[in-house]
Amino acid sequence: MGTYDITLNIHRYDPEEKKSRVQTYRLKAGGITRFVDLFRKINDEDDPTLTWSSSCEHGQCGACSVKINGKPLLACELLVENAVDLFKTTTFDVEPLDNVAPVVRDLVIDMEKAYERVHKVKPFIINPKPPPAGGKEHQISPKLMERYLEATRCINCFCCTSACISSTRKFLGPNAMLAAIVRAMDPRELEKQERLSCLFSEHGVYRCHSSFACSFVCPKQIDVAHFIALAKAGALQEE
Amino acid sequence: MKPDLKVTETMNCDALIIGAGGAGMRVAAEILERKPDAKIIALTKVSHPQKSHTSTAQGGLAAVDPSDPNDALAFHMFDTWKGSDCMADQNVVKKICESAWDQILWLENRGMHFSRDQYGSLSKRTFGGHTRNFGEVSAFRAVFEADRTGKGIMDTTWGECLKQNITFISQCVAVELLIRDDRCFGCIVFSQKTGTFLRILAKATVIASGGSGQVFNVTTNCRQNTGDGLALVMDAGLPVMDPEAVQFHPTGIVGPGILASETLRSVGGILRNKDNEPFMVKYAPKMKELAPRDLVARAIESEIREGRGILHPDHNIEHVWIDLRHLSKEVHEKQIPEVNSFFMHYLNLDPRTELCPVRPSNHYHMGGIPTNEFGEVEDGGRQVIEGLYAVGECAAASFHGFNRLATNSLLELITMGKFVGDRIAERIDAEPNSVKNINGEVYKKKFEDYFEARGENNTGRIRNSLRSTMTQKVGVFRSEKDISEAIETILDLKAQAEQAALNGQSLVMNQELMSRWELDNLLTISIAISEAAMHRKESRGAHFRDDYPNRSEEFNYHTILSMPQFGQIEIGWREVDMSIFRGGEVNYEKFDIIERKY
Repeated sequence: MGTYDITLNIHRYDPEEKKSRVQTYRLKAGGITRFVDLFRKINDEDDPTLTWSSSCEHGQCGACSVKINGKPLLACELLVENAVDLFKTTTFDVEPLDNVAPVVRDLVIDMEKAYERVHKVKPFIINPKPPPAGGKEHQISPKLMERYLEATRCINCFCCTSACISSTRKFLGPNAMLAAIVRAMDPRELEKQERLSCLFSEHGVYRCHSSFACSFVCPKQIDVAHFIALAKAGALQEE
Repeated sequence: MKPDLKVTETMNCDALIIGAGGAGMRVAAEILERKPDAKIIALTKVSHPQKSHTSTAQGGLAAVDPSDPNDALAFHMFDTWKGSDCMADQNVVKKICESAWDQILWLENRGMHFSRDQYGSLSKRTFGGHTRNFGEVSAFRAVFEADRTGKGIMDTTWGECLKQNITFISQCVAVELLIRDDRCFGCIVFSQKTGTFLRILAKATVIASGGSGQVFNVTTNCRQNTGDGLALVMDAGLPVMDPEAVQFHPTGIVGPGILASETLRSVGGILRNKDNEPFMVKYAPKMKELAPRDLVARAIESEIREGRGILHPDHNIEHVWIDLRHLSKEVHEKQIPEVNSFFMHYLNLDPRTELCPVRPSNHYHMGGIPTNEFGEVEDGGRQVIEGLYAVGECAAASFHGFNRLATNSLLELITMGKFVGDRIAERIDAEPNSVKNINGEVYKKKFEDYFEARGENNTGRIRNSLRSTMTQKVGVFRSEKDISEAIETILDLKAQAEQAALNGQSLVMNQELMSRWELDNLLTISIAISEAAMHRKESRGAHFRDDYPNRSEEFNYHTILSMPQFGQIEIGWREVDMSIFRGGEVNYEKFDIIERKY
């Protein structure tokens, strides 16, 4: 385990003054301390005004995404000793995902704005297939589900959107594409036409440059690029 | 410059949902399906509904499939009643169990990705306490979405709301209920993102604000679960019910508190203390590691309290070890890969070669805002507060009594959520319009005090002391001595909190301000839990008193606790509904006051 002397250069933003600055915090931390624990330690011991976002703090909700030395990741999943190992330094630049949505304060971005990308693809069943008679569930074969199940694990942390080389402008982003792809592949969705028009619109999958950055940074290890490739190849429907 | 605490905007709606987790979204979805023109505003404290605590639930949803020839509603009702240690309300148990399967279909038909069996039907699995034939054999009753059932519910209910017309306001909290003459007209809301106070007037106000796990320093709960809804009603002079009924899971991973599933013990994991001694044999000579949850939790806590725990250097939390090193490669790879990955991910430990630190972790609050079977909030005299509802973990109807069965909490969210939605949809047209002249009376003073405090105290440090105190003194083990010490500490911390100056005077996304407000809520819930635990001189379900280790008939009632002023406690009681027993139908005798033995 061991103790580390950590330097965090945290990008701060004051919405009232409309000013950005970088503030340096130095702290001692045990090797398995998570970055969310570091932020909390700063609040409790040094500076209660540092503002950051989190919720579940075990990789299930996607509320604590930040960029550490440029890499988008979940602050709850990054342990100090792993960060030292990964970046070969004890000094870390900590930034909000400011290329996904405007910053509200410090490390907190406007998640409602970020989610507008996801809302545009309608992350629900638009036109549900009528359920079988007699109060039954739809029968869906495990083999068919296997094709899209991985994509349902997305937690909308927006790490992929932040890392994507083409998402900041017209592309809705990899996670929004995943939400659309899930329903395009879901046999309970009858509205396939609108789904496909959205995926192949000017904000859709053809904006993707196949850099695979999404798959590379995904904290849930979803092969996002694989699903986008399926869409591009017109291979979403069952063979 | 002094911050402006005046209400800057008034909004009107048919239904105001405080908390956009699974329960709140199920309510909203039901209203919108039945009344597509209804105007609904849903508030969430987090940055987006998907970040709610519901999303983290893993296990499943218990529901009797009517086409299953081996299972029966009576078995599910019996298991819930027995598990509750005879403190669930039978009218609620019956209503929820009966509507369970319909609610599973509701979710499935709207796109939840339930796991399937080889035929494409919903898979089912078994969980502790779920049985057939009144305790004879395990029942396969829980449907699930892999290990992310809560996420499935969250995504589906949120998606259905989004599909209809609903207004979400993120990163805001309800700071004062607007109640006059036993009727609720809405509430005052603080929007963190804009730094403004809003007045939202509603025909129906639904509190669905989730649990209070942050009262304890090791918890499986999200960061925002600070019992805000409970504090909101207590501040309005209304009571809470059974606040002392708090569930602890025996093996939370130190320090994040993440659940290390029961599976670890069922595959042969051994609990050891600092001397490497396998201690379960002392507490449960036959069952050892496989003893029931509450017993294992008490055994671990005993070891820690008697000085045989280990202090975790990084998290400053005492724990014991779970030893998985002797298990075969196959067990590690096939049966416990998920939990292994938590240890690897959050502790950089390899369970195949190293001991893993665990300790009891706060998990669930059975107690909450007292409601009837329709989710309508009641005062201490069982009088309904018109227009006010509570649902989900913050509420107590009570489906769980003093101990909740695995997979029954998600079921409660979607069934009670549906009932509340029904009730509101039926009544919305007949409800009187809101009065215009009702304004918040107390929130302003509260926030003024926050900004005017000039002491040196730090909110974070006070919160940390409070949470350690609650874990040590009012956690798994309770006694008169410990609880009175805790109460004294809480009162002292309350006084300290009043002297905690804020470092920033802004209202916009001021995390310290929010944390100061949360601290008041945590202090309120802590005192409620402690005082009720003190009052209940018996052990029942998850509430265990060292000094009164047995269940006592004289406490066969719900605790009703209110607090007119901080620290000034009034305790009343509510009868436990035993209508199934009294109904005298087939098997009624199973619903008498029975022993909770497994």
